[in-house]
Amino acid sequence: MLWKLALTGIKSRLRDYLVLLSGLAMASAIFYMFEALALNKSFVTSNSPVSMAFLVFQFGSVLLAIITFIYLLYANNFLLSMRQRDYGLFMVLGAKGRKLGQLIFIETLVIGSVATVLGLLIGLGLTELTGHLLLSRMHLTVHHFTPFYGPAMISTLIFFGVLFLLAAIVNQVQLRRTPVLTLLHRDTQPTHLQRQPRGQFFQSLLGLILLAIGYWSMIKIDVLKMSSIGIALVTIVVGTFLLFRALFTWCLQCLKRREHFAYHGLNNFVLAQLQFRLHDLNRMLTLVTLLFALALGALTVGMGFQSQLHNIADVSPYDVVLHDPTAAQQKKAAQLDIKRQWQVDYKVVKGTVYFNRAQFTQPLLAIHQSTTTSQKAYREIKPSELTLAKQQQWQQTLNDWLRPNDYGHPVRVVDAGAYQALQGPHYRVVAIQTKNFYQALPQIKQLVITDNQENHFPSSVGLVLSKYQSYELMNSLVSGLEFMGFFLGIAFLAMLASCLMFKILAGAANDRRRYQMLGKIGTRSKLLRRSVNREIGVLFALPAVLGVVHVLFGLQLFEVSGLLTHPYRDLLVPFSIFGILYLGYYGLTVKLYQHLVLPKFK
Amino acid sequence: MTAVMTVKQVRKVYGGKNEPQFEALHNINFDVEAGEFVGIMGASGSGKTTLLNILSTLDQPTAGEVVINGQNLAALKGDALADFRAREIGFIFQDFNLLENLTAYDNIALPLSLQNVAAKKIKPAVAKIAATLGIDQILTHYPTEISGGQKQRVAAARALVQEPSILMGDEPTGALDSKSAKDLLETMTQLNEQQHVSILLVTHDPFSASYCQRILFIKDGRIGTELKRGQQTKQEFYQQILQVLGRTEQGGD
Repeated sequence: MLWKLALTGIKSRLRDYLVLLSGLAMASAIFYMFEALALNKSFVTSNSPVSMAFLVFQFGSVLLAIITFIYLLYANNFLLSMRQRDYGLFMVLGAKGRKLGQLIFIETLVIGSVATVLGLLIGLGLTELTGHLLLSRMHLTVHHFTPFYGPAMISTLIFFGVLFLLAAIVNQVQLRRTPVLTLLHRDTQPTHLQRQPRGQFFQSLLGLILLAIGYWSMIKIDVLKMSSIGIALVTIVVGTFLLFRALFTWCLQCLKRREHFAYHGLNNFVLAQLQFRLHDLNRMLTLVTLLFALALGALTVGMGFQSQLHNIADVSPYDVVLHDPTAAQQKKAAQLDIKRQWQVDYKVVKGTVYFNRAQFTQPLLAIHQSTTTSQKAYREIKPSELTLAKQQQWQQTLNDWLRPNDYGHPVRVVDAGAYQALQGPHYRVVAIQTKNFYQALPQIKQLVITDNQENHFPSSVGLVLSKYQSYELMNSLVSGLEFMGFFLGIAFLAMLASCLMFKILAGAANDRRRYQMLGKIGTRSKLLRRSVNREIGVLFALPAVLGVVHVLFGLQLFEVSGLLTHPYRDLLVPFSIFGILYLGYYGLTVKLYQHLVLPKFK
Repeated sequence: MTAVMTVKQVRKVYGGKNEPQFEALHNINFDVEAGEFVGIMGASGSGKTTLLNILSTLDQPTAGEVVINGQNLAALKGDALADFRAREIGFIFQDFNLLENLTAYDNIALPLSLQNVAAKKIKPAVAKIAATLGIDQILTHYPTEISGGQKQRVAAARALVQEPSILMGDEPTGALDSKSAKDLLETMTQLNEQQHVSILLVTHDPFSASYCQRILFIKDGRIGTELKRGQQTKQEFYQQILQVLGRTEQGGD
């Protein structure tokens, strides 16, 4: 009979259960996504030039495990709060506590295992999809990446299995310890704000100190080595939580005490909403902050690697250099989006390369390292500058034009008459600068390959690299890291989204009643909407602020360890992308919530 | 005497053009004079709730008009409607409808802060109405920490703090024990007699109804019998109500 009752209970709250289930499934999906990278040692080591990478991923796993753990606690609370009223009622009707304990135990386990398996499937799909998307969109070359990875599956299963078992035990104990009356009315019990200014002060101080230690240890990674990440991990998680706990409570108290703020419009109601869920909120804000920092950090670092790649791969101003091009090659080259093109001949006589001065009608380009931007700039060399006195400046740029076999020979520029008189093999060079090297990459690749086939000299393999080849080489070196950055950025963002969504939907049933009531006593609908905006706005804004600070300090890790040369240079792009995504998500959440809870009169 | 509320030819039909239609209210006409204590009685399904929803601006009639304090409700929309609801109508519900995350004080203050009344003026206003209703000792408590009768008093205080034109009660004693119900009804009578608050009470309970000066019986969407208390005692009026109810149940009118 009790079973039947329990099942009907689930049926009647199907939507809530779906929310719970999808939230948990998302957690296990993302855990799998991460583990599929982190545990895949051959992937991590073959795609990262740093031997520490594997260890870094292990710390990442620990952090994600902590986050998932808090997340599950949160979800479990949601489950318990859904059920305790029903179970309280069963108890009033005479059900035995032991029996109910069993019931919640089994319920937690069933939901947990369904969610874990479901999450694994979703995780597989997401890993496949994200991997595919990133690889095809970004010309990345990644080795040993497999969406289906056995060890990751096993570790996800074990991790979630243990956590749900724990949750089941906790639920059972909690249910049996809580008085029936509290069970019946738990969701309407207020949290009285503690008025302990001294305790709060020490808590926020401790939080700040812990954060400072965490930041310091990230800056000192060159001294502390791996323990730096371990220290930062613990101190930042705990510090964030303490800071929110003390500071957030304190802010609410202050605002509540300012009467002309509190008793204006729905302000008091918004404050009460936040205060009422204080305990949940502190945990949630911590969680969201960490996820925010991780997602933004991963994205920023991923993009950092990309701009770094563009920077180091830029070895020559000329995007394509063709030697004695065939008609087919010339046709293909003409289709490129050309900015400038040079066509000259050269002869090789006794180990020296000769160019004809008459053919230089437009300036040459030479690389000029700029100190202000991450992109390299090019300097023009006018034909009149091709003198012996200035040969230091143009030797290199003309060397870029030679066949691999002629590379490194001294280069002379002679007058037309002298050039005609020279006896030796001669070659035609077509050098092209496109408007956008990275856009033209597929066509350039074909041209470079055919050119290489025709001018292949075994002795020069690996010695001389065209711009394309050097790009390919660097790409294979850093794109693994870049891939990890983007992949994890997406994964953490998804988890953040599901976490916030969770909190929002968990409170919807109660809030719906409250907003209906406010509507009935004559609150303008604009005011109601604004109240929703503000309440959710706080939940989005606070983690964002602290999250950005975390990231700014976290980038030190990459600067000091030398993984990225200029991690702070191009922050605008990743921060804007992330900001737009985050704002969009805020808008979406608010709209959804308004739709769920706001009354519809007239 | 002037009418604080006039209801003219109000009809309410549920169901669209191509759906089976159901007429919940059929040509309802009545007035509530200023300072009157009027009851509307009827069994469940008689149309009481529909009528109350229309009177309290939460719903619109299919035809006919409702005028409260000189304002035709049909002319109000959006913000103006919300403001009107806040200023002119005080509402108490069967299930109290207090915000359980606010203290009693904050619950009562809410309508004032919604209308942007200055914080300085809120305190005396709340204190005054709380004293009238005898709840000044529990203002710092949350709704879960006070009894049902106290909750309904807080709800009444919230409804009255704006000094509305009319106080509407939707079975306000429905969830109360008989002692608390009696206390609340006596308080309402006092408010009516001493402060001249106009009250419209919707109920199916003859005991609650016997506190009214005039009762409209509603059945199948029509107003049938109208009873006036006149000089009768509460007990006599109560007996008369029972008689009418008895007749109605036997199918007569």
